[in-house]
Amino acid sequence: MAYDYQTVHALEGTIGAVSERRANHLSVHRASAIASVLAAPGRAAEAAGILVASGEFEARFVAPGEWLVLSDVHAPETLGAELSVRLGDFAFVVDQSHGRVALTLAGPDAARILANGIGADLHIDAFPVGRAANVLCNHLSVNLARTGGDRFGIVVTRSFAGALVDDLKVMARSHELSVDFDTR
Amino acid sequence: MASLITCPHCGTRPKEEFSIRGDATPVRPAPMAPDEAWNDYAHVRANPRGRIREHWQHVSGCRRWLVVERDNFTHEVFAVTDATESRGGAR
Repeated sequence: MAYDYQTVHALEGTIGAVSERRANHLSVHRASAIASVLAAPGRAAEAAGILVASGEFEARFVAPGEWLVLSDVHAPETLGAELSVRLGDFAFVVDQSHGRVALTLAGPDAARILANGIGADLHIDAFPVGRAANVLCNHLSVNLARTGGDRFGIVVTRSFAGALVDDLKVMARSHELSVDFDTR
Repeated sequence: MASLITCPHCGTRPKEEFSIRGDATPVRPAPMAPDEAWNDYAHVRANPRGRIREHWQHVSGCRRWLVVERDNFTHEVFAVTDATESRGGAR
């Protein structure tokens, strides 16, 4: 028996969108190409070099020799294969496009909103643009990256995405925050 | 309890991000060592006051095992290193 499978976003119907644009905006990426890359033993430098050399990937630090790779250029269906070809024996690649949800929090109060749930120093000097790390946001472990002075990228596991968005709304209660899906 | 731990990979973080395994000083005996040596290694622990070395795992961050050298009386943290450093760093 043949089934028709449909791709449904983890937050479809539960996002509680606030579509009116406010000073701070949380956008949930609709189709994000994400892969987890773990360097082979002793090959972290080579793997990092390959990831950085190509401008098509955005590698976010997770742990020594481990990155979450996002791409605007590649489709979710092809990112894993593309990375495997480039990295060869230097690293192991697992596609996470449907396993994780990527969000962007942007606005003048972005760091203050995050500070309500994250115990890391998010000052621009301590956590500069381009830095990424796993952090505990309330009770959820998420990957946080600073993509601009007042822009943060968050990657969270699919099943926790709903809880994270709810948490972020609570964290932003004393700030103006709108929430919606990305237009892409 | 020391409340801020500076992970060598992630930066300064609250202790809630970590899980503590315990004393980092016991050295694993050889496989055929006498039972007394294994008994000491598995069960016998000193309970010192002052400067101690412990294994902490950064579960909510980089998930690496760290060796935290801290004072359990003054709560001062002296050093945090990756647990692989004693054998020449991560592979």
